[in-house]
Amino acid sequence: MKKLFSLLLALAMLISLCAAAGAEGVTTITFWHTYGDQETPILDEVLIPMFEAANPDIKVDAVRQSGDFNQMVVTALGTGVVPDIARVDITKTSAYAKLGGIIAMDELDGFAALKDAVLEGPLSTNVWNGHYYGLPLNTNCKAAVINLEQMKALGFDGAPATMEEFIAACKEKAPGEFKLNVSGVGDWDLYPYFWLFGGVLTDEGFTKASGYLDSEASVNAIKAILQMHDDGVFTIRDVDGTPDAWDGINSQYAMFFEGPWYPFSEGIVPAQIPTYNGITASVVGGENIVIFEGSKNKEAAFRFLQFMLSEEAQLELLKVGVIPTLKSLVENEAVTADPKWSVYMKQLESAKSRIPTPQASTVEQLWSDAMNMIFLEGADVQETLTNTAAEIDIELAK
Amino acid sequence: MSVRTDAFLLRERKALRKKRLRNIRPASFFVLPGLILACVFVLYPMFFNIRISFSNYQIVQRNIIFTGLDNYIALFTERGDRLFLAMRNNFLYAVVTTPFIILFGLLFAVMVNSLKRGGVFFRTCFYLPVITSWVIVGNVFAYMFNAGQAGLMNYLLKDVLGLLPAYVPWLQRTWTANLVIWLLGIWKNIGWSMIIYLAGLQGISNDLYEASSIEGANKFQQFWKITFPLLKSTTFYVLVNMVIGAFNVFIQVYMLTGGNPRGTTSVLQYLLYDKAFNLFEFGQGAAIGMITAILILVTTVVLNKVFRTEGGKAE
Repeated sequence: MKKLFSLLLALAMLISLCAAAGAEGVTTITFWHTYGDQETPILDEVLIPMFEAANPDIKVDAVRQSGDFNQMVVTALGTGVVPDIARVDITKTSAYAKLGGIIAMDELDGFAALKDAVLEGPLSTNVWNGHYYGLPLNTNCKAAVINLEQMKALGFDGAPATMEEFIAACKEKAPGEFKLNVSGVGDWDLYPYFWLFGGVLTDEGFTKASGYLDSEASVNAIKAILQMHDDGVFTIRDVDGTPDAWDGINSQYAMFFEGPWYPFSEGIVPAQIPTYNGITASVVGGENIVIFEGSKNKEAAFRFLQFMLSEEAQLELLKVGVIPTLKSLVENEAVTADPKWSVYMKQLESAKSRIPTPQASTVEQLWSDAMNMIFLEGADVQETLTNTAAEIDIELAK
Repeated sequence: MSVRTDAFLLRERKALRKKRLRNIRPASFFVLPGLILACVFVLYPMFFNIRISFSNYQIVQRNIIFTGLDNYIALFTERGDRLFLAMRNNFLYAVVTTPFIILFGLLFAVMVNSLKRGGVFFRTCFYLPVITSWVIVGNVFAYMFNAGQAGLMNYLLKDVLGLLPAYVPWLQRTWTANLVIWLLGIWKNIGWSMIIYLAGLQGISNDLYEASSIEGANKFQQFWKITFPLLKSTTFYVLVNMVIGAFNVFIQVYMLTGGNPRGTTSVLQYLLYDKAFNLFEFGQGAAIGMITAILILVTTVVLNKVFRTEGGKAE
């Protein structure tokens, strides 16, 4: 009996030693993300096994976070218990960079190739202080959501090509009926219109708003939007108390701008945002992938990042509606064959990012305040934009 | 003689000290766990918060650089008067919601208490809002007060009753949005107030009502001359809790307005959250915490002075 017990004990020790030897050399990295119910199985059951098979020395521990993800990240930074790598909102990247929580990737071996491979609009959301602190993992933008029947009543067979003809048709055939809708006056809602009508937020380096936001072009852009509003063509739900776009597009509105998550149907289809003065515009959304300063496995994390930006990984996620960020996939058959993805990928080419600054929340607030003053209180456009530009300058200088 | 007395006194003192220690030892066994927890989770964070409020706190690097009153000055001189608007809204919340919570809590408590049957049912019904998740009711209120036709209130007030000439964007205008925030607070807290008053009502002897009946007092006189005066300490308790609670309002604002438009519906706790987690101004966030604490302290002292008598009972 004693012999048997000793044998079992020796066997148990041998097994644990073998297990320890097996674990040795395997690096486990933690990946925080907020993928939804559809995307998470693809990540857990397809992508991670695929990566681990190709990289047997790395194990990925993917943790799906819920609730206020930004709060989770800030708390993690405060406690020092951070993941190695994470998928974060594009508007938060520069803020985490300023806090010193994530690493600049410029000098990493292989970064230059990745930088050249991704779309420039989404890439620009990773810049802070002249360095790249992440890479765009998935992207989205707004495109036009069209009610075909409403458009037909306005005399269009499908989406109008230009805003000029759309506005003229609305004024003529449906005066005061508000055929174009937006939810509010925040940056995500109004930037596409502002850019479409020729407005400019800052210089190219995102360092100064004065001279740009209050320029003649920007003032004219806001005035053009105001004019559309006064003409009964364009309504802002939060200002006018009109029905929400998602409800109203079924019966009242002919068009609004929305991301690819809108549940399109036979009569309500996606289309390119009509041009104004020959240009179209949209706003970039999406998530970046970043590596944390506190990570002890930065090299392994970067290998996982490279994998997530590979064509095979991006195409897998496209199957569940995650728009890729690789330039090479814009013309990929999986994209062009799909009526929805083809529209959004094409629109992305003209989509711009919001100002990538650690003060993004304050800048957004300043913009919303200015638009509220103009659209709700009838404030002078030039004066309001000049004051707001000066205040944004202060924020950008911080 | 004096040497002997000194030695005696010394012995006495030693004996006394030993006796005290003997008493403290078993007591400390019960007190220490709570004391340690309070030190770790209350006192240490509190002093740390005070320190951060006077510093530039670099959260990743763990640097705490002393900056004196800079955070406070930044808050008081900020554009748009965000701090003052938040303080105003906290005070308004206290002034508007507390009387309704006290009034309806008392009314429902008296009504439920007078029921011969179904008391438990009504008590449960009135208490349900208290235990319902803030997030859920926040979403329900956001739906009810949605702008345009999609909102239940707009539909009822304009489409059904015809009381409004146009749809109201409730949550997008300062005062209608504040009204919704107050309504949510009132609706959510009446049940709690009612339960406290019910407990208070249990403490009033039936003899007083019987005696007053014999004297010919009617129900209103009984309420006004017996119930209400004897519930004054309960009212004081509800009042202090509600006023302190008014300075901790957060979820309503977070769920319904996000402080918009232009910070005119913001409150101190929302501003604190915004400063810390959106703007990463941890020093200013901590300073808002300190300002809130001072306001609560001052308000409580004032309430004590105004509503309390020498005997410690509410007047």
